[in-house]
Amino acid sequence: MLAGFIPVSLGLALLQVALRFKDDADLARRLQARDAGAMRDLYDRYGRLVYSLILRMVRNSGAAEDLVQETFLRVWNRMQAFDQERGALGPWVLAVARNRAIDYLRSTDGRMAAGALDLDRLEHPAQFCDFEDRALSLDRARRLKDAFEKLTPNQKTVVELAYYEGLSQTEMAERMQQPLGTVKTWVRSALKVLREQLTEAAAV
Amino acid sequence: MTCEELRDSYELYSLGLLDGEEKREIEEHLGRDCPRCRKHFKDALGVNAVMLSQAHAVVPPSRLRRRVIASVGNERAVWGWLAALVAASMLIVAMWLGLEKRTSDRELTEARQALQQTAAERARLEQAFGFLNQPETRQVNFGPGQPAQPRGNFFLNPRMGVLLIASNLPALPAGRAYEMWVIPKGGAPRPAGLFQSGPQGTALHILPGTVDPNVTVAVTVEPESGSPSPTSAVLFAGGF
Repeated sequence: MLAGFIPVSLGLALLQVALRFKDDADLARRLQARDAGAMRDLYDRYGRLVYSLILRMVRNSGAAEDLVQETFLRVWNRMQAFDQERGALGPWVLAVARNRAIDYLRSTDGRMAAGALDLDRLEHPAQFCDFEDRALSLDRARRLKDAFEKLTPNQKTVVELAYYEGLSQTEMAERMQQPLGTVKTWVRSALKVLREQLTEAAAV
Repeated sequence: MTCEELRDSYELYSLGLLDGEEKREIEEHLGRDCPRCRKHFKDALGVNAVMLSQAHAVVPPSRLRRRVIASVGNERAVWGWLAALVAASMLIVAMWLGLEKRTSDRELTEARQALQQTAAERARLEQAFGFLNQPETRQVNFGPGQPAQPRGNFFLNPRMGVLLIASNLPALPAGRAYEMWVIPKGGAPRPAGLFQSGPQGTALHILPGTVDPNVTVAVTVEPESGSPSPTSAVLFAGGF
C-alpha cells in the first residue's frame, strides 16, 4: 500500500534522483562508453528505488536481489539504444525493473507470459525520450500520492493490481469477483484522476 | 476510435496490460505517428514512472551494490579484490604450513589445487566479463513465463561465442550433465559443451570462438560423456 505520507526514506531517494537529474545525460554517455565507474553511479542513483519497487512486487528479498541485478544488467546491455540527450533514464530503469518483477511473478504463479513480447517492446529505451524535466521529482510524487489517497478502496486496489502485480482487467475481475465492466470503470476513472493531477502539475 | 476515446487506455497499454480491439487501435494510431497519441503515450509513461517510484523505500543490502557493480566487470575493483583474496589465502596456507610441522603432502596438494581452482575460476569470470563488456554482445533471457524453473540469460557475441548464466538448475543424477547446443537456422543442433550446476543450482558456461549471429541456443540433459545430438527434451532455449 502507498503510505499515508511521503516517508522520509522515499523522499530522500527521490530527492537524490531529482538533484542529479541533470547529470543523467552525462551518466548515459559514460554508460555507453563503458566507463568503469558508470554502473556504480547508476546504482547509487537508482538502486534504492529499484530495490524498493521490486521487493514491493515480489515480496522475497532473495528473488528481489536477483531481479535488481538483472535489471541493471539489462539496462547496461541495452544502453547503446538509449538517446543520451533526449532520454529519461529514471523512468526507463523503473520500467525495466517492473517488467523483470512481472516476468518473475508470472513464472512463479503459472500465469501465461502472453505479454512478454509486449513488455520487451514497451521497455525499449527509444520509448523513453522527450519527457519533461524532472519526471521523477518530489513534487510529482507528492501530487500523485495525494491523488491516490482520494481514490475509493476499489480504485486503489485495481491500480495496485495493475502496477504491482501486472494483472489485466480480465484477471482483476476474476481476482475481485466483479463484472469486467465494473473493473474497467474503476481502472479508467482511477488512472484519469492520477494523470490529471500530474498533467495539471506540468501545466502550472 | 478517436484519439480522445483512447485517452484513458494509454497507461494500461504502456504497462502491457491492454489487449483486444483497444490495443490494436492504439498501435494503429501510434503506427501512423499521430502526435496527439504519441503525447498521450509519453504522458502515460510519465504517470507510470511516478507511480512505480512510490513503493515504500527500503534500503538494499550493501552486498547487492557490490554484486551489481561486479556483474558488469568493474575490473579494477574485482580483480584487486580477488588478487588480495588469493594473496591472503596463500599467506594463510604458508603460515599454517610453517606452524604445523605435521602437514602432509596430501594437504599441500589440496591447497595447491584450491589455488589453481581459484585461478581457473578467475580466468573464466574474466572471460565472461569480456563478453558482457562488448557493445555487440546481445542478450536473450529464458525462464520468465515458462513452467520450468531454470532462469537466466544467454549472451551472444559473433566474435567471441556464447555465454550462459543460469540459476535454479535442478541437481542431476550421477552420470548426467547439462549440454548446450547451438542450432543454426534450418540446421541440426551442434554440441556446445558440457557443464554441471553448482551447489546452489547456478552455472556459468562459455562456448568460445566465432558463432553465427542468428542461432538458437538450447540446453538439454545428457550422459556426462556428452552426446553428438540431443537425446532429451530441451530444458530451456533462447533465439537470437
